[in-house]
Amino acid sequence: MDKETVLKVARVARLRLTDEELERYAADLEDILTAFSVLDEAPGAEDFDLGPIKVEDVFREDEVITSIDASELREVMGTKEDWVRGPRLS
Amino acid sequence: MKIGLEIHVQLPTRSKLFCGCSTGGDAPNSMVCPVCLGFPGSRPFLNRRALEMGVLITKFLNCKITDRIWFSRKTYFYPDLPKNFQITQYESALGFDGHFMVGEKRIGIWRVHLEEDPGRVKRVGRAGEEVSLIDYNRSGVPLVEIVTAPDLSSPAEARDFLTDLIIELRRLIGVSGEEQTMRVDANISIGEDRVEIKNITGLKNVEKGLKSEVTRQTKLLAVGKRIVRETRHYDESRGVTLPGREKEQEADYGYIGEPDLGTYRIGPLAESMVVPETPLVRAQRMQKEHGISAQAARQIVLTDWELADLFESLSRRVGGDTAMSWTMGPISSGWKVLKANTDGSWKKVTDIVEAVSEGSMSDSEGRLRIAALSGGHEIEGINNGPSTDLDGLIVRLVDQHPEVVKDFKKGNEKAANFLIGQVMKETRGQFASKVIAEKMKRELGKRV
Amino acid sequence: MSFFPSAAWLKELDEKHQLFTERLEDPLAFEGGQFHFSAKDNLCARDFQARAGSLILKGYRPPFDATPIKRLRENGGLLLGKTNMDEYGFGSFSTNSAYGIPRNPFDIERCCGGSSGGAAATASLIRDHVALGVSTGGSISCPSSFCGVVGLTPTYGRVSRWGLIDYGNSLDKVGLISRTVRDIEQYLPVIAGPDHRDPTSQVQPPLDLRGEVRTVGVPEEARTGLSPEVAGAFEEALRDLQRSGIVVREVRMPSLRFAISTYYILATSEASTNLARYCGMRFGAMNENFDQGFNDFFSDTRSRDFGTEAKRRILLGTFSRMVGFRNKYYVKALQVRKQIIRDYQKVMEDCDVVLTPTMPFVAPRFDEIERMKPLEMYQADYLTCPPNLTGMPHLSIPCGYAHGMPIGMQAVAPHWQEGTLLSFARSWEGSFHYRFPEVAE
Repeated sequence: MDKETVLKVARVARLRLTDEELERYAADLEDILTAFSVLDEAPGAEDFDLGPIKVEDVFREDEVITSIDASELREVMGTKEDWVRGPRLS
Repeated sequence: MKIGLEIHVQLPTRSKLFCGCSTGGDAPNSMVCPVCLGFPGSRPFLNRRALEMGVLITKFLNCKITDRIWFSRKTYFYPDLPKNFQITQYESALGFDGHFMVGEKRIGIWRVHLEEDPGRVKRVGRAGEEVSLIDYNRSGVPLVEIVTAPDLSSPAEARDFLTDLIIELRRLIGVSGEEQTMRVDANISIGEDRVEIKNITGLKNVEKGLKSEVTRQTKLLAVGKRIVRETRHYDESRGVTLPGREKEQEADYGYIGEPDLGTYRIGPLAESMVVPETPLVRAQRMQKEHGISAQAARQIVLTDWELADLFESLSRRVGGDTAMSWTMGPISSGWKVLKANTDGSWKKVTDIVEAVSEGSMSDSEGRLRIAALSGGHEIEGINNGPSTDLDGLIVRLVDQHPEVVKDFKKGNEKAANFLIGQVMKETRGQFASKVIAEKMKRELGKRV
Repeated sequence: MSFFPSAAWLKELDEKHQLFTERLEDPLAFEGGQFHFSAKDNLCARDFQARAGSLILKGYRPPFDATPIKRLRENGGLLLGKTNMDEYGFGSFSTNSAYGIPRNPFDIERCCGGSSGGAAATASLIRDHVALGVSTGGSISCPSSFCGVVGLTPTYGRVSRWGLIDYGNSLDKVGLISRTVRDIEQYLPVIAGPDHRDPTSQVQPPLDLRGEVRTVGVPEEARTGLSPEVAGAFEEALRDLQRSGIVVREVRMPSLRFAISTYYILATSEASTNLARYCGMRFGAMNENFDQGFNDFFSDTRSRDFGTEAKRRILLGTFSRMVGFRNKYYVKALQVRKQIIRDYQKVMEDCDVVLTPTMPFVAPRFDEIERMKPLEMYQADYLTCPPNLTGMPHLSIPCGYAHGMPIGMQAVAPHWQEGTLLSFARSWEGSFHYRFPEVAE
């Protein structure tokens, strides 16, 4: 994989790479993707499932259930006057 | 001009789409749990009712229902999105290729899908340096997204479309009619390139935002400039669209299936559902069935669903025109009280109108009686249908009271009132007093 | 990763060990049906941090118990502690943790295997202990094999994943590691069963601990690429099985060669979305620089606190699902997984379990690991990946020793047939003599 692609992928994933990391990951991913091209030969099923077993029509009913007090969760998040603090939006 | 809309409507469930938190949060971050906050180790669990509502809307919009659906993760980074991915539907939607009629015009519906709402973010601090504060009560609230074809040809038409759609959805699944229930992304192209206006809240703003965008694009084209394909925002306070605040950075949502939820067979579910009649569909049927104008039908239906029920039962008995004039006149003028007093049983009202229509009750008495029902006082009588032989009764009474005939003969017309009163008492208000008086005077006249 | 113990480090270790043994030897602690257990650090428990081997979760104290932990606690279990692991499960040697590297109880110059390395070492060191492990692509089998213990990875969906910090949701399974099959048999029914907090746990048939193994299938493809020690021990084990009356059948499973690629694409695609939530807000490592733009704010935390392997897998997974590559990698991998499941099911028509060595070599030394390229490390999972990919239950059990290091073999059964594996392991355990590290004896 070329460095430009690695940089693009890293930006999408919100990762900043040092020059050394960029060098290393470009080489590693090249190796890995070359090996993975074996999949081009693989016979695939026509269809697919999202998991290895069939999970179908599993629902919960529309009921309000509280299992953990929201204040405990706010404490974990370090809220300020109950609001979660975040960065600038630009 | 081509306009297409992506409409997000909040579904009125009790609990959120993937967790048991209430959808009605008030204090910030009070209706939250590990699932809708995206805490490590939490996982989604689908609300049956939300899916049912989504499927019903999809069926109502005449879409081809997807037999087996699943959910997808749409990954993007933003402070209001707890997992930094949104659970939505990508390849699989609830349905595709439907339509919705705005009056006589058919607007294509490309797809309908379910997704979770992100949290609500507010900016605080000096302009340009605002930090964010986030309330995740809204995170995980179920939304249905409806994507239209670019079939709308003006901002006004877009507004009409949304107005009609919300009328229908309110009845269909009980969405609240408030402005903020609906958030819209609007795509508009006047020339070749399309501009997207993101995240407009409320119908009025959709029209205003589109109008200002039309003006902007028209001006650009007039001086020979190109329209740039871009995403803009509608600034409600200034009434103009502005270029996207955030640079659209490397938008690649990298959709994958949501493995924690499995799949859902909605084909059979949709099959088993009956779409109830919605207001505008009903208005259209009423127009045809009762021979009334489109505008009148719409007005009745939108005034009140039960008013339309009353109109229809009247119309079946006395015909569309008569039913219409009574419905829009005396009945709707005191409608609220009338509805409360009659408690859903329209027999008293229909009996009055029918009596007037048959001529057995005077028009003014009918109006009076309905007004009385609307004012809370029922005039005694009209319990039974007009089964009594009125003419026979009058002949008998006249026979029994020769003294009245004598007085009447002397020119004392008021003498008849005694007998008229007797008839009214006997018939307990089944007949209009005017009718009785006329018949009585005719009978007395014969004896003269 | 070379090993230079300092006096201070040894002293600290010694104190920790003393505290730990005192607790285990407290006669009041484990009366009447009570027992002790440990949990891999990606399982959430109140009263403990849950860091999943990652700096980005440093200080995170979950406000709820993972369902398997909750169930063990409710049944008399005392959670002794959390065990070290590769960051988020990303590794085969437990060398990718932000919190030190667990060492193999048989030889501290060697690794424990991974990613449930701490769990396997704990199970190996402590008698009558049951360790909760988690496997995505072999993270129970591999360390169990390297540390000479029994590790059961149940069918996908058998044990609730509520409270398990996700790696790859379609692959993650909570299982048990212990010195003997007996312990596993005792605690599996406690942690198994439907949970109203995990939809994928809702479709399972009841757990049946019975089963019988008459025929084992040995894929030809699994007999290549083995170190001489492993090959020798495995062939010897096959001969023992035949002597005990079990039929050993050669089978062909050509699709196994696609398992590694398929596994890594699916696992990293899912992982890269799961890890998006770690961004310096809400939990774990908190970024206080709120005057930054959100992209910088997120990137700062993520670039600083994710480890090398985590970044590598995020990159691989993000790439695999990007526009233009998604169909070639992610969607194709979904299709191939389905094909591999069918191949397994076909083979299993003629045999009760599929049997292979667990790992192609004994626990490697840290200096050997340091010389390995990422791809070589991934390829070391070629025997443990396939059953994990298919969601089929599998069990690693010691089958021999070479130069003092344990060697494991791995049996795979059809979906939901944990009983078959346990019955196989029970009869093996009846005639096989386990060895345990000297320190614990």
